[in-house]
Amino acid sequence: MVGLLCAVGLFFSLSGAVGVWRMPDLYTRIQASTKTITLGALPVLVALVVGTGVLTPYTSRAVLVAFLLLVLNPAASHAVARASYKTGTPQWKGAVAHEPDREQPS
Amino acid sequence: MTTLFLVVAVAEVAVALPLLLRMAVGPTVGDRAVALNAFSAQATLSLLLFSAFASRTIYLDVALWTSSFSYLGTLVWARLLERELL
Repeated sequence: MVGLLCAVGLFFSLSGAVGVWRMPDLYTRIQASTKTITLGALPVLVALVVGTGVLTPYTSRAVLVAFLLLVLNPAASHAVARASYKTGTPQWKGAVAHEPDREQPS
Repeated sequence: MTTLFLVVAVAEVAVALPLLLRMAVGPTVGDRAVALNAFSAQATLSLLLFSAFASRTIYLDVALWTSSFSYLGTLVWARLLERELL
């Protein structure tokens, strides 16, 4: 059970890292990183809880780290994407939507 | 069981090597910030698993601080970019 959960987490972490390395521009890299980092972290944390027992310090810290990753990681990625889009980071040439003159709510 | 934790802790850092490559190569600052954010998540997981391997609960607090404050680093880079201070 623990090995299976760790394998799932490692697979998603590896796919996220390879996605960040292989994707063509910043926005697709952010998409690859956010989805797979959160999805790769949670199975490993569940494996830690299952492997060490429920009423241990490991469980409380694992729950806290899972909460922090789920809340803060999308916020940070959103901030980076917003800042990069505002400053005109070039998109991949196959991108279909680019509206630099559109009024953005701030 | 504990050996499995050590193996997974090393593997979590090993699978994050493309992130380090992207951090070194990355054409824009945003690429480096995204890779840094993802790599710090991997480092947090590795620390948690290593503390379970070594049976030292003090390492858990290091992982907790890493996960709560690496986010601030990414956010600071994003704010600097947005104000066009870079």
